[in-house]
Amino acid sequence: MKKFLEWYPIYLREMLLFRRKLFKLGYLFSAMVIPVIYLIAFGLGLGRSVQMGRGNYIDFLIPGLVAMSSMSNSYSWVASSLNLNRLYFKTFQIFIQAPISPSSIMIGEVLAGMTKGLFASLLTIAAGFLTSSHFTVTPLFVATLLLNCFLFACLGIITGMISKSHEDTSTYSNFFILPMSFFSGTFFPVDKVPLSIKAIIYIMPLTHTNILIRKENLDQEGLLSLVVLLAFVVVFFVFGSQLIRRYNE
Amino acid sequence: MIQVINLTKTYNGKKAVDAVTFTLEKGQIFGLLGPNGAGKTTLIRMLTALTKPDSGTCTVASFDVRQNSAGLKKIMGVMPQENNLDRELTAYENLLIYGMLHRVDNLHRRIHETLGIVGLSERKDSLVSHFSGGMQRRLLLARSLMTSPRILFLDEPSIGLDPQIRRQMWDIIRKAKMDRRTVVITTHYIEEAEALCDRVAILSKGKLIALDSQDNLKAQIGEYLVEYVDGEGHLVQHICQSRSEAQTVAARCEDGVTIRKSNLEDVFIKLTGERLE
Repeated sequence: MKKFLEWYPIYLREMLLFRRKLFKLGYLFSAMVIPVIYLIAFGLGLGRSVQMGRGNYIDFLIPGLVAMSSMSNSYSWVASSLNLNRLYFKTFQIFIQAPISPSSIMIGEVLAGMTKGLFASLLTIAAGFLTSSHFTVTPLFVATLLLNCFLFACLGIITGMISKSHEDTSTYSNFFILPMSFFSGTFFPVDKVPLSIKAIIYIMPLTHTNILIRKENLDQEGLLSLVVLLAFVVVFFVFGSQLIRRYNE
Repeated sequence: MIQVINLTKTYNGKKAVDAVTFTLEKGQIFGLLGPNGAGKTTLIRMLTALTKPDSGTCTVASFDVRQNSAGLKKIMGVMPQENNLDRELTAYENLLIYGMLHRVDNLHRRIHETLGIVGLSERKDSLVSHFSGGMQRRLLLARSLMTSPRILFLDEPSIGLDPQIRRQMWDIIRKAKMDRRTVVITTHYIEEAEALCDRVAILSKGKLIALDSQDNLKAQIGEYLVEYVDGEGHLVQHICQSRSEAQTVAARCEDGVTIRKSNLEDVFIKLTGERLE
């Protein structure tokens, strides 16, 4: 195997495990349940009485739900499985004791997280097509979705590596992922929130995913969000790789 | 093959490994003998680049474990004490992933060979979660042999195995030695250390108490033991340097006295004052 494909066995392992879970009802249900609940509650329920400029609320909501779904699935599957593999099943030791680089471990795990995040996003996209006649998937939408999955899978690695117990991963999720789901422009536009809160909101990467994923073309605002997302990707990837490099039992 | 100098590791203020120093020649089976908590696993983890030592140096096959662990990883095989197989993958898939990580040539052929060595060929497509504990230990051993490593680290390889499977595993380990591999094995089974090891290091509370061949270790304390149960039901032991001395001691003792050759457990008890558990 070529050196640049060192990540592949790690990805393959995750996919072999994923394949066995994929068609289990529990997995499909857990991947879909949150975005579908939000789609029904906010989109089809509350959303019917909300008008959003030119379009209706559900057209606004669906791209946000795709971003949120890709974030939570890319993140949580990686954080949870890495933490369990490191602390309980000890399967992560196999990677550490293999003659491969920390960045290869990182890439393999991140690509696996992306795949799981994309799978969950596809379910949300399908639900979007069923509920909105205006919902479209542009090349920029796809690129943003991929970038978002990559970014949050990297964050999942960081959480999986620094958590000292499986309960810790839930704590991190409650502190970072849950607030981002609600305050980063998934359910309402962030340009009308008070300035002091806006500063915090604009630090959150999901805010920039939500800005970018709703654009048809890359304008100045979109370009800025793209740069922010890329910066997050670089920082999270480098930090995650360093955590793997410094692994010590 | 291995040179360890003053290797030390502390956890929460307690020294798990305390200034351990030893060297090991190529092609030997080297046993680390000690009770649970003696520091055997921590030592193995440091030798296999899983745990960074606090101080000291460790060179394996000319690779400094701290500076060049990548080189070491290419030539070592590790069987951990904990079962770290992927339980929701098949035996074949477990070896496939491991072989790919280590870039094993002719991978599919090698997987079939190693599964054959441990007698699991017919179960290659079974999920590991459906395996018995003994089968999982055998698969762990097969995985450690996948890369035909120059040095093999086996951490309590036969723990939890029934006697028959344990002996099969010993045969595989002896075969590894015949293939000129160096084997480092940790165990708290006296029988295992006596059956396999050329040299034995006795560890207690993180410290290396003794290191020598089995015969020399036994000779240090005396080759024979006279044992009997006294009137209060306590086991009394006398260590003797020769059989004639043992017979003289036995003649003075009560009924029910036995004379036997000393073993590594006697060495351990004599040197540490503890029993192996």
